[in-house]
Order: sequence, then C-alpha cells, then structure tokens
Amino acid sequence: MEINNIIDYLVKSADFPGKTIKESCKKNNKEAVGCVAPYAPEEIVYAANCIPVGIWGGQVELTKARTYLPAFACSIMQSIMEYEIRGTYDFLKAVLIPAVCDTLKCFGQKWKGTSEAIPFVFPQNREAKSAEAFLESEYKYIKNKLEEILGITITEKALQDSIILYNDYRAEMRKFVEIASVHTDVITPVIRHKIIKSSYFMDKKDYLEYIKELNKKLRLLPANNSKNKRIIVTGIMLEPDGIIEYFEKYGMDIVGDDLTHESRQFRTDAPFSGSALNSLAKRWTNHNACSLAFDPYKERIQYLVDLANHYKADGLVIALMKFCDPEEYDVPLIMERMKKENIPLLVIEIDQQAKSFEQINTRLLSFAENM
Amino acid sequence: MKDRYYLGVDVGSASSKAVIINQKKEIIKTSVIQMGTGTSGPKSVIDNVFADTGLTLGDIKLTVGTGYGRNSLKFADKQISEISCHAKGINYELKNARTVLDIGGQDVKAISINESGMVLNFYMNDKCAAGTGRFLEVMARILGVKIDELEKLDESSKNPVTVSSTCTVFAESEVISLLSQETKIEDITRGIHNSIVTRALALLYKTNMEEDFTLTGGVAQNKGVIRALERALNKKIYVAKKPQLIGAIGAAIFAYEAGEERG
Repeated sequence: MEINNIIDYLVKSADFPGKTIKESCKKNNKEAVGCVAPYAPEEIVYAANCIPVGIWGGQVELTKARTYLPAFACSIMQSIMEYEIRGTYDFLKAVLIPAVCDTLKCFGQKWKGTSEAIPFVFPQNREAKSAEAFLESEYKYIKNKLEEILGITITEKALQDSIILYNDYRAEMRKFVEIASVHTDVITPVIRHKIIKSSYFMDKKDYLEYIKELNKKLRLLPANNSKNKRIIVTGIMLEPDGIIEYFEKYGMDIVGDDLTHESRQFRTDAPFSGSALNSLAKRWTNHNACSLAFDPYKERIQYLVDLANHYKADGLVIALMKFCDPEEYDVPLIMERMKKENIPLLVIEIDQQAKSFEQINTRLLSFAENM
Repeated sequence: MKDRYYLGVDVGSASSKAVIINQKKEIIKTSVIQMGTGTSGPKSVIDNVFADTGLTLGDIKLTVGTGYGRNSLKFADKQISEISCHAKGINYELKNARTVLDIGGQDVKAISINESGMVLNFYMNDKCAAGTGRFLEVMARILGVKIDELEKLDESSKNPVTVSSTCTVFAESEVISLLSQETKIEDITRGIHNSIVTRALALLYKTNMEEDFTLTGGVAQNKGVIRALERALNKKIYVAKKPQLIGAIGAAIFAYEAGEERG
C-alpha cells in the first residue's frame, strides 16, 4: 500500500467513526464495547473478542445533556451525555467508565444509554502496594461483568495475548510520533491527530499493521527541513479539527504531545507479571506525569521540559479542556516552570461544542508571531 | 521625493479604528467608529480616515489589518494579531511600557512586552465576557445611564458594594437586586469598576508584572476603571492618549516597518 493510501485510509477512519466501527466489527466478526475517555483496560475488552471503542465526545449541539449534568461539567462529558441520550452508543454491548476524575466518578453512576455501564475506580495513591491489589479486583469485576453480558469466558491466555498485542501497538505508536516529528510535511498536525484518533475505532490488530507499514514507509522518506515552528501540545485533547487547522495556517508543526487522547494512551506499557490482570493494574501504577493520576512531585512539569528539549520545540501549547479541574490545577505550575526555562507557552481553552474559534485564532496567531 | 503613507486598521468587536502614518512615523489622521466587525463600521472608518487628507487608498504603500474583523479587510496587505499590534502601538506612544492591560469590547488581554514592543507573553480572558467592554455596556443599561456617565458616578461613591466578577449574567442579576434594595447607583458603579479590575488582575498577575503599567482599549477611557486599577495595584497606571487607537497605531507601525524595510 502506498503511503498516501495508508494516510487517507486512517484519516477517513477517524472522520467516519460509526462506519469504521461497523466495518471493523463485521470484518473481524466481533462486537463493540465502549471505553469512556482515558485509561480503560482495553486489553480485557479485546480478550473478550470485542473491539474497544474510544468514547471522547464530539462537536455536537447540546440540547438534553444539561438536564443531567451541571454547566461546569467538562465539555467531553457534556457531549458524551448528549450522544448517549440520543442513542448514539446503543449499539455497544457495554460501556466501561473509569473514575479518573470527580466528573467521571459521578458520570459513571448515571449512564443514560441502553448498553450496560461498567463503572470502575482507579486507586489514586499508586505507590501503596494495596493500590495494585485493589485495581486488580476492579479489573476482575470488569472481566466478570463482560463475561456475564457477552455470555463468554475470558481466558488467561486471551488476556496475555491481548496484552502482547497492546504493548506492540503502544511501542509502534511511540515510534510513529518520533518518526512523524521529522516528517511534518507529510504528517501535518491535522493528519497526525487523525491517524492517532483512528485507533479508537478499529481492531488494534488491523490498526497495528497499518501503523507498522506507515512507519516503514515514513522512515524511507528524507527528513524534511521545515522552517515551521516546532510545537508540543499538552492537555486532555486537541479538538475540534478547526483549531488544529490554525496551527497549520500559522506555520506551527506539532512535533510531540502530552495529550490524554493521544500520546498518554500509549506512553506506558503493561509489564510482565504473574497474572494478566496484575500486569494491567501495574500499567496504571506505573503511569506517571499525568494530570489524572496522583502526581505529588509533579513529574508532569519536568516531563514537559524534557519533551520540549527532546523535540527541540519552539513552544508549548496547553490545550486546556473547559472545566477540567485536574488540568486547570496544573496550569499555573506549568506556566511558572516554562517561564524559568524560557519556553514560550500558550494556553487555549478547548470546548467541544464551540463552532467559532476566533479567540483561539487570535491567540495562536499572536503566539506564532512572537515566538 | 514623494511622501509614503501607511495604514493600520483595527476592526474590533465593538468598534472600528484606523490610523494613517507617514514615512517619518508621524500620525497623519485617525478615526474611530463605534461599530465593529460585521457592520458598516469598517467601511465607514476607512472613509472617515481619508476624509480631508487629500489621500486615497491608492496612496497607501502598505496596510495592516488587526482585530477580530481583520480577515474581513480584503485590501490589507497583511493581518497581524491585535496582541502584537497593541504591544507595538503602546511602545510607539509610551516607550517605558512593559505591562499592558488591554480591555476591549469582548476580551481582556494582559501583555508583557520588551523595550522594542515585542510580546514576551500574554494572557486572555476565557469562559465569559465578564470584565470586558460588553460587561460595562450591559451594566450601564441596567443602571439606566450612558456608558460615559459611569466614571462621574464612580467618583461620588462612598460605600462601594461588591459585584460578581465571575459571570456577566450573574453580575446583571446581582445589580438588579442591589437596585431593588435601593443601593446607591454610585456605589454599584464603583462595585462594577472594581469587579472589572478583579477579573483583569487574575490575568495581570500571570505576567512578569514589570513597570510601567499601561491601560489600553476602549474601557481605558473610563477613569473609574483606571482609579480602581491604581487602587488595586497601588501603582501609577499610564493611559495612552487615545487608548482605543493603540491597536490601529500598532498596525500602522507594522505596515511602516514592512514598507520601509522593503524600500
């Protein structure tokens, strides 16, 4: 397959998630299970012979969501609620809802779709030995619930195979972002985002093949000597696409990210351990430098400095999800450190429901002008 | 040798501004129309700025557009963000300015600049238009006064009240309650000005807080806001002579720099 065909295929897969999921389920003779926002143990879903589908909201007009959510619930939860009320997710066999923040904790208890909700809790004090045992028991609960809903048995072998596949996928994605950073003429900010996003709607086995092929082909291209500014983006997610287009318009390449929707998903592998569920629990306890995981030493700040240095970035953009408390608390700390490090920083507010991005446009233009 | 002219146009959300300068960086003519993007304001401001100058758009060597409506200025040679233009404009007028607070029609910007008028960092309001020019307009309407009467009312306040700085709509209902409790309009006005400043301070404190502090934008024409800011910072605040024009002046200077460099 030619490089352009791979890119086109993945971009279209991200643009039409419903179609992509349907085709992927049909091709692989599988059902789909939703995973709300970040860090659900997709490996368990995959071991249940289902396709884990990432549920991250979208650009939808809110008509009913506010009946159930306060106005200050984050923009992702508002749009997910709107979609679930409209029945968009009813084709899913079940929906995993991790309580990684206060909003998700409450959200998991009031799912309005017809597919069964499986809310679960992540332990925040990840250094305590009991954290691992607790999370393992939560994952056991998810496994049991999926077995009950799907009428199947999830074997240890299936779980181990799934972990191997997911670790391969994560490793390949890390390679992809590294290689993409020197091919920003081909992997533009919008394309980069869509390639990563498409993984949420496909069977990981198929997706991995595309990414491997893409990486192989990208390696053969000469590194581009773009004069564009090199930008790192951090936050929960960078969407809608209209915002990313401004990066391109103002000559800013996204060379690295610390987005929950993107690189944070494949930053941490599940290590080898006695049991599969314990491996998965360890993946969370090993996951650091993230606003959603208890981070008393604020490793995220140093991580961002290292990331900026690694990619020789000209600036850092915080894509601040509207009303996302964990992210908002980190912003002043990041600002202070970036000032000391002399790394230009811009904060833009992400609202999935927004249709006009004029203020963000002005901010990005000004950032590009003065970097 | 024929004179060379440069035009800066700032199309904001509430008003349109234009400035013509010559090759000596002297201001030839300015114009402000209280109608912003999406109205006849941009066209009128261009007509006005050329009136009585003997010049036409054809005499302009280079035009820079700025403000929210900058992209609607199809004849402009370049579009530059209002943040960069405010920094450049204030540097033209007040060389020592290092921290600029610009309160415009729908947003507030706190900008740190260096000695050549380059932006070091900037912060803008989000989520709500509280603390902006629109906020003042809404408040003046509820109080039943003209916007330019607010500064006089503020002067006679003896017991200022607190008005919410979080949300324009909440502040509106708060002011209605205060009026129904027969709170003096002067004291509510002072509360409104303090509320604008409280909101702006949250942005200002993120900057390098380097002196001199300057205030620009349409709201800087209100001395009640200036006094509230001076009280809060306990510092002298410099205000541009024509604060509403600073963005357009900056745009004209950018046009000048591009034009003169090009030769």
